[in-house]
Amino acid sequence: MKVRDVTVTGAALTPFNRRKDGTGFRDWALSAFEMALERSGLERSDIDALYVASESDFFHLQLNPASVLATEFGLTGVAATRCEGGGASGQVAVHTAARAIQAGAAKHVAVIGVDPSASSLSGDAIRTLYGFSFDAWTDGMTGLTSTALYALSFQAFAAEHGITEADLATVTLQNRSNACHNPGAHLPRRDSPQDIADSPAIASPYRRLHCSPLSDGAAAIILSRTDATPRRRAGAARIAGMGTATDHMHLGARADPGFFTAKQIAMQRACAEAGATPAEIGLAELYDAYAGTQLQSIAALGLSEDVSRDLNNGAFAPTGRCAINLSGGLMGQGAPVGATGVGQTATCALLLEGRYHPSLQPDTLPRYALADTHGGVCTLSAVTILERAEKAA
Amino acid sequence: MISNHIGLDYALNPGWMAPYVAGLSVGKARARRCQSCAATSFPPLRVCTCGCLEGNWTDLPGTAQILFRTTGLDGDFGLVHFDGATTKTTLRLQAIPATETRGIIAASGDNLPVLCLTALTGERDG
Ligand SMILES: [Zn+2]
Repeated sequence: MKVRDVTVTGAALTPFNRRKDGTGFRDWALSAFEMALERSGLERSDIDALYVASESDFFHLQLNPASVLATEFGLTGVAATRCEGGGASGQVAVHTAARAIQAGAAKHVAVIGVDPSASSLSGDAIRTLYGFSFDAWTDGMTGLTSTALYALSFQAFAAEHGITEADLATVTLQNRSNACHNPGAHLPRRDSPQDIADSPAIASPYRRLHCSPLSDGAAAIILSRTDATPRRRAGAARIAGMGTATDHMHLGARADPGFFTAKQIAMQRACAEAGATPAEIGLAELYDAYAGTQLQSIAALGLSEDVSRDLNNGAFAPTGRCAINLSGGLMGQGAPVGATGVGQTATCALLLEGRYHPSLQPDTLPRYALADTHGGVCTLSAVTILERAEKAA
Repeated sequence: MISNHIGLDYALNPGWMAPYVAGLSVGKARARRCQSCAATSFPPLRVCTCGCLEGNWTDLPGTAQILFRTTGLDGDFGLVHFDGATTKTTLRLQAIPATETRGIIAASGDNLPVLCLTALTGERDG
């Protein structure tokens, strides 16, 4: 079968925050879709299929949201598919959509990620629901929270890799500092290490400021068969490689509960498809559900052989060899679950085109950028490598 | 603002995991021993890490070593190693002092599969 090349012709994100303006998830989804469509140079009638990432019906109280959004967008008649993979839902939707183009089943598709994770339910209700995104019968009903499971996995990683509380603070401050330059970010903050130490303990060693927030918001990309991309979008980034993998659902059944094996495998698969190596990744949007999660991800993705050393020598800072989470990441930009993976891909595409927020846009563009998302404690990993067009700005 | 309250009462059949759930309610650590490699998983794995689908139920002593623990808003939780098990286990730690490194499974006592480790008492110790 001939595999078609895929280009990100349009990309957009709404602000991620806690909405207090009376708007709802249908409004945010439409707003992101229309911005991405406008940037793509395509018309509604060009769209063959709609892929919607939304983690849970509990959040918006809407089963079958893909069909609802097809109607809301004025796309009635297109193929519509809802994609779900816990926290990885957005990236799973990107992959599903891109594979449809590669297989020749569609020419132009819209991918929307949306969730009202902040405003529709209480924080306690959302946390209870998140508990069921691990093994609901062995973990969720025991009352194990997302933060507690991540904290246990991080402790195993930290013991092995010599990660300190100061390293957690460095990640926290860096991501939120980046978010200060992102006008759509939920938590643009300039805290001090003392502020972090003074924030409430959630599940040791994690304190509130080590955690990503619950956010509302949407993100959208338009993917096109590269040979059908509008001429004026010749500078748009292409999807170079995608990889997905799973790990044991039970943390305790893993040979090393601190290592994200699924992420390592997904990255190897994406690199093989792209013909790239981790060392060639110059920008990365990583899944920093918690500060330590970012460090665990860096190790699993092969972006560093000594995570603490490279963190502290600035390798992942905005001017480092691989700038990580320029957007602020989940911790700074925010985390409307379904929108997260789509938003990461949109961010990478905009960065590689030189069209991101001006004060975050690097002077020199790397060849490759990486969007990294996972569900569970990296039970399901989905990563995407994007490649800059030769004509990019 | 649309306000809506929904109460949902689930009745979930545990299926193949029924012996595990029944064990928890009376404080038994009922594990799955692989017929091929004898690896013992707790919580049970339907398919062993070696790939074998056949296994037998076996009751572990119920005591466990605490490897990592986390404390916070929702209580204490741990990654522990049950004596006799090949896999490790995440669970709730109930009234186990921070200085203690071992505990014993507690009976969940209701119809929820709540996996809990509690302090060893002289009576049940050893
Ligand atoms: Zn076996």
